[in-house]
Amino acid sequence: MATSRLLHRFNFGPTPGQYAELLQRGIKATQATVLQRGLVDPGISSVATPALADLGPFPAPNTPAATSFWDAIYRDNSELVMWWLDRMVASHHPLAERMTWFWHGHWATSNSKVFYPLTMLKQNNTLRKYALANFEDMTKKMAVDGALNYWLDNEDNYLSSPNENLARELMELMTLGVNKFTQDDVTAAARALTGYSTNLSNGSVTFDEKQHYSKPLTVLGKTSKLDATSLASLIVSRDENAKYIADRVWFRFVSSSTTPPASLKESFARRDISSLVTALVRSSAWTDSRNTLVKSPVEWFVGACRALKVQPSRLRPSDVQWELSQMGQIPFNPPNVGGWPFGQAWLSGVAFQYRFELAQSIVAIGDLAPLSVPKSKMVQACADWLGVAEWSRRTASTLAAATGTPAEMAIAALLSPEYVVSA
Amino acid sequence: MINCEFDRRRFLQWTGASIFAAMSAQVSLETLASAASTSPLPPSTPILVLVTLYGGNDGLNTVVPFTDPTYHSARSNIALSSSQVLPITSTLALNSSMPTIKALYAQNKVAIVQGVSYPNPSLSHFSSMAIWQSGSLADNVTSGWIGRWLDLQPHDPFNAIGIGSTLPPLMVGQKSVASMVSPHGIQLPWGPVASLLPRLGRTSSSDAPLEAAAASSITDLFSTAQVLAPLVTKSPTGSLLNQQLSLVSTLINGNVPTRVWEVNLSSFDTHTGEQSDQNSLLAEIDAAVGAFMTSISAGGRSNDVTIMIYSEFGRRVMSNASLGTDHGTAGPVFLIGNTVKGGLYGEQPPLNSLDANGNLKVTTDFRDVYGGLLHDVLNTPVGDVIPSWRTTLSVH
Repeated sequence: MATSRLLHRFNFGPTPGQYAELLQRGIKATQATVLQRGLVDPGISSVATPALADLGPFPAPNTPAATSFWDAIYRDNSELVMWWLDRMVASHHPLAERMTWFWHGHWATSNSKVFYPLTMLKQNNTLRKYALANFEDMTKKMAVDGALNYWLDNEDNYLSSPNENLARELMELMTLGVNKFTQDDVTAAARALTGYSTNLSNGSVTFDEKQHYSKPLTVLGKTSKLDATSLASLIVSRDENAKYIADRVWFRFVSSSTTPPASLKESFARRDISSLVTALVRSSAWTDSRNTLVKSPVEWFVGACRALKVQPSRLRPSDVQWELSQMGQIPFNPPNVGGWPFGQAWLSGVAFQYRFELAQSIVAIGDLAPLSVPKSKMVQACADWLGVAEWSRRTASTLAAATGTPAEMAIAALLSPEYVVSA
Repeated sequence: MINCEFDRRRFLQWTGASIFAAMSAQVSLETLASAASTSPLPPSTPILVLVTLYGGNDGLNTVVPFTDPTYHSARSNIALSSSQVLPITSTLALNSSMPTIKALYAQNKVAIVQGVSYPNPSLSHFSSMAIWQSGSLADNVTSGWIGRWLDLQPHDPFNAIGIGSTLPPLMVGQKSVASMVSPHGIQLPWGPVASLLPRLGRTSSSDAPLEAAAASSITDLFSTAQVLAPLVTKSPTGSLLNQQLSLVSTLINGNVPTRVWEVNLSSFDTHTGEQSDQNSLLAEIDAAVGAFMTSISAGGRSNDVTIMIYSEFGRRVMSNASLGTDHGTAGPVFLIGNTVKGGLYGEQPPLNSLDANGNLKVTTDFRDVYGGLLHDVLNTPVGDVIPSWRTTLSVH
């Protein structure tokens, strides 16, 4: 159980043969494998970063320039989404991409408002750079991130009348949690965030001293002159931050219905994300049968592609994006600043419809070699291949009915409750 | 806007799907569905349609205290002028983006409950929406109020249906959950594997609760598709809300045995440029609700349906400099239907007596509104769904 859980939750699922090998090598080897980070990742190196241009300001409507502008926005957006999915699938050490994906949901910024794929790519690179680094450093960078600033209306946060959106969500959703600050703290924090403006088409942020509130501010009981970065340091230094981030990581990697042991937040005392993740991977959470988790649509899709050795961009990109969007999860497009839904929300009949469409297209071009075993061994081989600890009798008997047709067995296995849920 | 390309491609596919449906169906689609349904909704059964507005709709620019000088001084940069409102009393008016709802109000079909929230309102979108959807102020309640109502019914995947793909928390119970339907139609698995897949929907004794839920969703899809798929064959048109509500009216007119429907609309978090954004959202609601009422009038159930429109909070009385408003507290709830006793309920919170953050004081508890709906529409005592709650506000 622990081996399966660690691979699915921290590495987007096993590559062919990996699960059986790690079962042999034991839990310590599994922990080390999922935590592995390479300076060079040959899988990632094979995925070219899209060369996105600064597309400049919105052109006047109904002009030839507008047509080519919107074509470029759509093309770049599609390239960006497929690029990230390709990276998740191709990575040999997927923890970094998995953590970037977690932070994307944490600092949930949507291209539905930002519009410019280049600006979203810049934010994504920031999240990747700090994905396993220091959370204070990450927060300082994100407080002046162009996409986040625009998404939360900080370009409209004026000296004369603060706009509270970024200040509130920075504390409530990104660092401290609800009810850990007062309305007065929000008002003061909003003043600390004045003076920043974003060039939306390329995400660069400039600071204008004259538009910044220069007098001392009292936030969370401390009074000092504050700007975005010193505000970030101040709020991240609060004890509540360690508990909040430890809780959020637990919620998305372990269970949305159980709570972490008090000791987990201690591993985040120095705000080192890597220490927190390492402590979690090595914890006893993975042998507790209650800690089940529903894979989000992207996590399920990436896992299936890794097992079947399918590069997502080899599928029809418009199909992949349509089907993921109909399941409610497309990268760079979280539904709101609170991030993605979780748990049972993903388990609808509609999600099953689109999961089937994706499974069908992945299996159609996927590598089914792991099922090239004698018929009597196929059902077990299928579990080992996909990293499922054990099939239920329901699923085992369903798969056993498909031993003559490996493609059908693969589709049924990918749609089974045991693969959709990390139990 | 990002999804335009996908929608266009889907539209082309749908054209093909519709041709196929027309060829296979010699009788009307409604007849086909009724015949397929083993238990059509009995005549005169009350139906609840929930419209959730995500982001915090600004109540003061929806139901406008247009003669109050404080309204104009506190939000001079976004206050609606007399030409931008449709008066319903000498002091209150609807936003002029809502002419259809104004007309329904004049026909006594719209109840407006004023000042609705709960004690010590949270200014957090997520805490406040969780409270509204769970029907509880406690932060450890994971079931939704409709979910708990579902738990009281014999299991039937038709009991409650949401439009979309991700289940809203309000429709998740401890034993039962609502079914979801996409406006883009129901397409059961095809190809040689199709006959195998229903077997994955059986629950197994070794299932963890979430695995059992995954299995149930498969079974519920196969068992509802027979009835629903023939009805959901039109390519969705119009605004996002219109797509959802027109599907609901089609399914209601098709006698689908469903007591509660849920649709939703986002983008009400108007920290900036509020007037144009909110006006177009309210116009979208107005048009979609109008089309929905027209559509169900053509069927036999227009006297059975009650619509509730609500949001997680209203917004700050004083506007900000970016022509918007920050998070607030109480707001109006709209209840619409032929058998609703129209008019104003509760008290409009005064603008000159605000809480410490400059927000409206709460005059009506949302659980009273739920209580009225549970009693009048869902025939269930409020205490069975919201433990220890006894009071109700009835608009029927």
